Amino acid sequence: MNNLSSRQRKLVYLAVIVILLIPIIWLGRPTSGTGATRDQGKLAQLRTRYDLGENQLGQVDPTSAAMNLVLLGFRGIAADLMWSQADDNETTKNWAELRSNVDTIIMLQPHFVRVWQFQGWNLAYNVSAAWDLVADRFFWVKEGAKFLKKGRAINEKVAQLPYEEGRILGSKMGRADEWKYFRQFFKKDPNEELYKGLADPELNPKGTDNYLAAKDVYLVANDLQQKFPNTISMLDVLFRSYPYRSQLSYADALQREGHFDDSSRVAWEQSYREWVENFGQEKFYGPAGAYHLEMTERDMQEAAEGQGTDVEEFTHWVLRMQNETRFPYWKFRAQAESAQLMVDAHRLIYDGEKQFVQGKLSTARDSLLRGMTMYEQLFSKFPVLATDDEALEESITAVYYWQRILKLEFKPIPAQYPLSVVYANHSNLLPVIESRFKRDTGQD
Amino acid sequence: MSFDPVPYNLFQGVSTWLQVMGLGLLLVVVTTLAGSLGYGLKGPVLWFWGVIGAIKDVSEISARRIWALAMLTAREAIRRKALLVFGVFALLFMFGSWFLSSPGEKADIQIQRHVVFVFTAISWLVLPVVLMLSCWGIPEDIKARSMHTVVTKPVRRIEIVLGRMLGFSLIATLVVALMAVAGYIWIDRQVSQDAHGQLVCKVPVYGKLAFLDRQGQPASAGINVGDVWTFRSYIEGSTKACAIWEFERLGDSSLMALPATKDRETTRGLRVQTGFESFRTHKGLMSSGLLCQLTLVNPSTNLRVPLPAFEVAEYRGDANVTPIPASLTYYDSEARKNKTVDLLKDVIADGRLKIEARCLNGEQFLGMARPDMFIRTADRSFAVGFFKAITGVWLQALVIVMIGVAASCFLKGPVATLMTFAVLIVGQSFRGLIDKIVSGDQLGGGPLESIYRMVTHLNQTVELDLSKSVTGTIKWTDWISQQGIWLVQQTFPNFGYFGMSPYVAKGFDVDFRAAIVPSVAVALAYFIPCVLLGYFALKLRELESK
Repeated sequence: MNNLSSRQRKLVYLAVIVILLIPIIWLGRPTSGTGATRDQGKLAQLRTRYDLGENQLGQVDPTSAAMNLVLLGFRGIAADLMWSQADDNETTKNWAELRSNVDTIIMLQPHFVRVWQFQGWNLAYNVSAAWDLVADRFFWVKEGAKFLKKGRAINEKVAQLPYEEGRILGSKMGRADEWKYFRQFFKKDPNEELYKGLADPELNPKGTDNYLAAKDVYLVANDLQQKFPNTISMLDVLFRSYPYRSQLSYADALQREGHFDDSSRVAWEQSYREWVENFGQEKFYGPAGAYHLEMTERDMQEAAEGQGTDVEEFTHWVLRMQNETRFPYWKFRAQAESAQLMVDAHRLIYDGEKQFVQGKLSTARDSLLRGMTMYEQLFSKFPVLATDDEALEESITAVYYWQRILKLEFKPIPAQYPLSVVYANHSNLLPVIESRFKRDTGQD
Repeated sequence: MSFDPVPYNLFQGVSTWLQVMGLGLLLVVVTTLAGSLGYGLKGPVLWFWGVIGAIKDVSEISARRIWALAMLTAREAIRRKALLVFGVFALLFMFGSWFLSSPGEKADIQIQRHVVFVFTAISWLVLPVVLMLSCWGIPEDIKARSMHTVVTKPVRRIEIVLGRMLGFSLIATLVVALMAVAGYIWIDRQVSQDAHGQLVCKVPVYGKLAFLDRQGQPASAGINVGDVWTFRSYIEGSTKACAIWEFERLGDSSLMALPATKDRETTRGLRVQTGFESFRTHKGLMSSGLLCQLTLVNPSTNLRVPLPAFEVAEYRGDANVTPIPASLTYYDSEARKNKTVDLLKDVIADGRLKIEARCLNGEQFLGMARPDMFIRTADRSFAVGFFKAITGVWLQALVIVMIGVAASCFLKGPVATLMTFAVLIVGQSFRGLIDKIVSGDQLGGGPLESIYRMVTHLNQTVELDLSKSVTGTIKWTDWISQQGIWLVQQTFPNFGYFGMSPYVAKGFDVDFRAAIVPSVAVALAYFIPCVLLGYFALKLRELESK
């Protein structure tokens, strides 16, 4: 091939290696540690400028970093294979391997936010639903939340991840069909052997309500959203409403569970204050200028004139954002729920349903009728209640139970009774109420 | 269990091997004999003496010489720093626990994670090492001319091949054995105390499964509830639908001590474990599992003994054990009184017992497959199953050694490595796909049909929208390539048999007839062809050609 001797060839190789090393060393000089970019290599400077360093994105997982280094450029292929395997594990209900594979995927792609989002949701919603026993379902819901919690530690600059975690702690635990169990389990984990009758400290170190824990996480998300506004995938005004919505849901859940004492009233009052005074006063920027949600028409006019924008357009956008967040509704609801009449109506209906299950039919009938009468008064006092799905469902459920009692007692249903108009106008809700009745009472 | 350990049909395996081996030999004889005719009449004579020489070589094999060569090979492998693999292994195990354990993890999940990790680590470390060693040994010897010094000694070529295989196998054995012991100790130490109770090997006795439909008529399977995974089929609650398992060869030895309960003292009896899946059409009572009732049926007298109903605890393995005491008291609904029967005398007939499973909740379903009910005999130590499963990794390493050494006898190092690696990948990862293609279960047709469907975005389930003649041509061409895949299926080893870790991971002893027998059979099946291939290749090879 050539006339060079073996020694000469080796010397040439050595020279080429040294020449190639010079730019590599120059480009790859490490960070100085003092923050002075002029002492850093070119690549380190670019990493600092564009926030691309592992430690700048969040906590560095040594195992993950080592794995990615060892795989050289093949981590994409490895991640694809793991995804395929995880999918197969889920189909064949091989839950242990699914969890391992999901962990491996995350080690390969620790800063791929969509992976955290999808797999966290998958564990909490899909995998949990594949299990039959409620305690097992709760375990997987927790796994989803824990997974996202880990994700936000590794991605400290992404607001979407704490939001997703809050969604599992709040909506999933508080609104699933199993919500009564999930809310109890969140404070007192079903794995008594491990948690000794207390909450799982990894998710609920304070032993608090799931909605309040979700609120804390949503507040973290809001802080991050303020610093890194581009890391969310929805309107900022909606995104920032979630901690306050969580407080409202907490107050609502107390009532759903039959707490009609001061605790629920105090919760509603706090919800009102936070909704109106905190969230309502936050400043947002819309297409027509800066605004906040707690604005009257006069406020809007003044603000538009102050910013030199068209009043009509400004008003249009503020009203639109108020509707998006259901700001007036929740303001009214928090206010109304603090009223004694509303608290009494809830209590009577709740008691009536409970007495029905216990077989105390005549007491149940009386409680329900009184609750229905109060609800009718509330509908006429607060007409906006007629647009509230929850109020409608509760009132029509009361009528449904009351009618069932009359049938069991072989008594005719009178033509006119409290809430008869509401009942007739919203008969479309009956299938849902019937199935819930069947589930709650075990009767057909 | 999530797979069905079907016993391996050894007779069928051996007869297939004889057919393939016979066909292969015939092909070799015919082609080489035809090729020898190129040398005129002298060719077949030389061919004949070559065969006689081979028979002579085989008959004069010396164990001492093979052992000496094996020792030489093993020393050479150690000199090539093959044992450095232990360093990587130690690193993995030192830090593995950092990302494997998490607090509050379910015991079975914890065990599965650790077992799968150990087996994956051992396989991934051992197989590449033995693959490289076996594929590069002979080519490197030829290159370094150390082979010349060996072949000039009174050593037969077949002994070189066997010595190489034995030497590398010894190294593989040493590495696998040490890693297995370390892995076992590591699992034992890493699994938390509360999960330790589940670190056992269940020894199941499986039965045959049959179904009755909702009218009580025999059915080939239960209902398909729409689950993508069709492993289980479902029976409807509060109907006549049921699943019936028939067990055989039961007797006094199947009974074991049952712990005392509030209703009875310690006694002897059968332990029946179930692993049914629940499917609800409505939420029902969410806080409780679906109710299942087992009924013991004497296959001869048709005596029916209903057992108390129990709640199905889905995916919770050991939580679904039904103890059946040797002396059973049950309520006879026809006679309207309690009756007591003896399990062995009255219920089990000639070692046979039927058990019917029914779902008691209306509009709810229970999913069942054959391995979802078994009679659990005395558990064995976790070590038993673990080391049995390790033999799978070991046998796989031996097959790799055999193929690698045989390939290195006629190929250069890199090509032999690629070939052996391809055999490993195809046998390990693509076996399922190959089986599906050969059996015709794979949707979307062969290569040409698949290309057409992909390009035109045609769904796999839709008929081809082409003329009859074009469709026929595509199908025919695909059939030809399918035969090629059939050949691959018949000649490439099925490495799936060696994967025994799922048994241990799920807490079961490795099934002898479903796992050990086929893996040993595969290893033996490749031994003779690999040795013959290596021998003739080395004999005919021009050693001066590097």
